[in-house]
Amino acid sequence: MLLTPEIISILTLDFIFLAFGAIAFFISLKIYLKWDLNSTSQMQYQLENQSHLVATIIKYIFALKLPLFLFFVFTADKLSNVIPGAMCAAGVVDSVDFSTAMFFFKILNLYVFGFWLILHTYDIKDENLPYTKYKFLLFCVGFILIMIEIFYEVSFFTSLDTSKIVSCCGTIFSSASASSLSFIFQINKIYFVYTFYAVLALIVAFYITKRYIAYLLLNIAYLIISIVSLIMFFGTYIYQLPTHHCPFCLLQKDYDYIGYLLYATLYIGTFYGISGAIMSIIKEQKQTKYYNISLTSNIIYALIVSAYVIIYFLRNGVWL
Amino acid sequence: MIEFKDVTKTFILENKDEITALKNINLHIKKGEIVLLEGPSGSGKSTILSLIAALSKPTSGEVLVNQKRISKLSDNFTSMFRRENIGFIFQKFNLIPTLSAKENVIVPLIPSNPDTKSLDENLNELFKKFSILPKMNILAKNLSGGEQQRVAIARALVNNPSIIIADEPTANLDKKLSIEFIDILRKLKDGKNTIIIASHDPLFFDLDLIDKTINIKNAEIVQCF
Repeated sequence: MLLTPEIISILTLDFIFLAFGAIAFFISLKIYLKWDLNSTSQMQYQLENQSHLVATIIKYIFALKLPLFLFFVFTADKLSNVIPGAMCAAGVVDSVDFSTAMFFFKILNLYVFGFWLILHTYDIKDENLPYTKYKFLLFCVGFILIMIEIFYEVSFFTSLDTSKIVSCCGTIFSSASASSLSFIFQINKIYFVYTFYAVLALIVAFYITKRYIAYLLLNIAYLIISIVSLIMFFGTYIYQLPTHHCPFCLLQKDYDYIGYLLYATLYIGTFYGISGAIMSIIKEQKQTKYYNISLTSNIIYALIVSAYVIIYFLRNGVWL
Repeated sequence: MIEFKDVTKTFILENKDEITALKNINLHIKKGEIVLLEGPSGSGKSTILSLIAALSKPTSGEVLVNQKRISKLSDNFTSMFRRENIGFIFQKFNLIPTLSAKENVIVPLIPSNPDTKSLDENLNELFKKFSILPKMNILAKNLSGGEQQRVAIARALVNNPSIIIADEPTANLDKKLSIEFIDILRKLKDGKNTIIIASHDPLFFDLDLIDKTINIKNAEIVQCF
């Protein structure tokens, strides 16, 4: 197993998450099963005290998980120096079969834990703590998801082999790739561009008309189409190379670390869009603040990626 | 106004031993009453005060103030409840020595950001009421014991609380100042403020202004008259 300082840091934090998460999981389960705010029993007062402890643990897990995701990508990128054939994080990540699943859980957990915080905020703002049972049930589900993510992460680090030659991102993100994503390279990239702007236009429309479910679904769609269109179209303008489609190289110094800004705005935009819509459905009222943050962030993302295309065209007079 | 229903409060010590500070307490205090909690040290008087002020929660049972179940409130709401309803008078005054008398009195109002003009009027009135108007801008550490006591009372009243809690208020005062404190209590008895005093000072026994005396011993109410 490859043990760099970065990997040791990540695994140490994983262990801490598991240890504290396990404590929080069992208490959360107890709270979900036995919570009755009207009761004046000793058990209920104990649960009320313990709910503060668990909420603090969960908040700290999320506070660490968010930057840890970026640190994981940074680590994978750094490991490309020791994995033969890898030019960036893509090659390192692609060297294991379950990389797509691992990233799926990593991203999903950021949304789940972020939403937990929002639910918690609404819960403690109300004297009757209306969401306590549900937020701790959500954490129980979240903890299982974290365990899966950590299982994948540990398997990933233990599977890294410095003697095995892997593919570089140029091969992985191309129609020649054997990966599950290769089929998208058969589709004309202009369709992704149309879809991207169409989804954004619909998000603006549903922001105005207050259709919560549509807003929720469109933000999920926006997240997916943004990543796909970044790989297929916008990324090529950032790299100024029509054959370069890697979603990881954007995070490198050569491209001014623009990937961090792009992914951050995309996460903030879609997270607040999805969470705001869910809270609107639960509370039956528009969460204006969340929608405003979401729309602003989604538009900023669109403006940045569009700017690369326009600037390239103005400078060179051609499209890629 | 204030109601205790089957309230038990247990503390767990570091060696895991349990101490029962209150055992199945039921009590009712009406609005505007001056109530004396008496009993030996460690009998549970201060625990009752901390439960009324929502500074701690019972182990079981419930505490209601104005029909609101304050023992079920979360931390955010207990802070708000205290800010709006409770005035504290402590045994050792707990003034900030490096602040003036006026600044000490303003401290409880800081979170609510009050209007400066109306605040000055209220402060003048309050300092006049307790005969400490000339001491307004003097540092707390330079005030005499009696003056510090009056500043502490002014601080307890500055947010117009409906409940004033005094924990052993005369323990640090000589007899003259203790009698002065009782005179101040008389001024405060206007039917609006509920005053709860925990004390084992004999000066309070058989005092005409006390509406109710609750005698506590070994975590239980042994007498209420």
